[in-house]
Amino acid sequence: MDAFFSWVEGWPLGVWLREEPTIWAFPFVLILHTVGLAFLVGANVAIDFRALGGAPGVPLVSMRRYYRAMWAGFWVNAVSGVLLLIAYPTKALTNPLFYLKLLLIAVGLVLANAIRGYVFGGAVGAGATAPRRLRVLAAASLAIWAASITAGRLLAYTCTRLMVDASC
Amino acid sequence: MLIVMEWDWLNDHLRAVLNTLYYTPMGEFMRTSTWAWPTFESLHFIGMSLLAGTIVMFDLRLLGFARAVPVRALHRLIPFGIAGFLVNMLTGICFICATPDQYLFNAAFRWKVIFIVIAGLNVMFFYTRVFRRLEAFSAENVAPPLPARLVGGISLGAWIGVMSAGRLLTFFRP
Repeated sequence: MDAFFSWVEGWPLGVWLREEPTIWAFPFVLILHTVGLAFLVGANVAIDFRALGGAPGVPLVSMRRYYRAMWAGFWVNAVSGVLLLIAYPTKALTNPLFYLKLLLIAVGLVLANAIRGYVFGGAVGAGATAPRRLRVLAAASLAIWAASITAGRLLAYTCTRLMVDASC
Repeated sequence: MLIVMEWDWLNDHLRAVLNTLYYTPMGEFMRTSTWAWPTFESLHFIGMSLLAGTIVMFDLRLLGFARAVPVRALHRLIPFGIAGFLVNMLTGICFICATPDQYLFNAAFRWKVIFIVIAGLNVMFFYTRVFRRLEAFSAENVAPPLPARLVGGISLGAWIGVMSAGRLLTFFRP
């Protein structure tokens, strides 16, 4: 694997991201990853909170456009995440927690898609209580996103190798 | 010269403030515990997500996005965003106590505070000028009036500013 890591670390894009002394390189990618997180998780939080009984006057179906905000956030983070990976492939790929983070995000997306069925199906009208199964899905979704965020944040503290020839 | 004298006076007081913060039990705890900092950072991001899920989503609605959502009823989510903001104030104060010089002499931190103040003033404008007119554009497909759009846009911009400046803190450490 080290041969692969050091090959990726030599890509001009990664070198530029790591070494360009401007906030428009690596720091800007981090900013995108944080704002993308706010939209991806934020849209999930709004829909999950409504399903769990917060803002009962909002019909669940009226929130369907928030899925656009959610996907916009997701794609910003997919792209910025790949850029971060290109900058420091060894750091992420040698850390087991990174794979757990990806798994948690995958579960979060599966849950968001299951909840989407209720939202677009017009399941919960104004003043109505969500069915038990939807409330379980919403609570699970909140827990999974909190876990993904925690896993992501802990990456900085659990990595062992920063680059092929540098430890964290 | 008066200006120099005033600057010295300010520096002396700033140094006293730094020392006081540094020797608080919270600062001590944040520096010595292995897991305090990573745990509080995770909480800081979870608090941010609460704020994004309620206040940022409300801002989008004020801007005219997701017009099907009855805006007056959506306002019921705002207390959760305030809770997220309080979590972040508390965890943020803990970071500052741990290493006060890393924040008080940091340009990114100053920008972060400026954006929080802008967001706060905007909240005051919202509750004095826009809140009681929410019902008027709560119905589906009614375009929000200009003041509502303005409040939504300023809030969205300010919170994105807060997040960006927060992310830049590490790159502007003294």
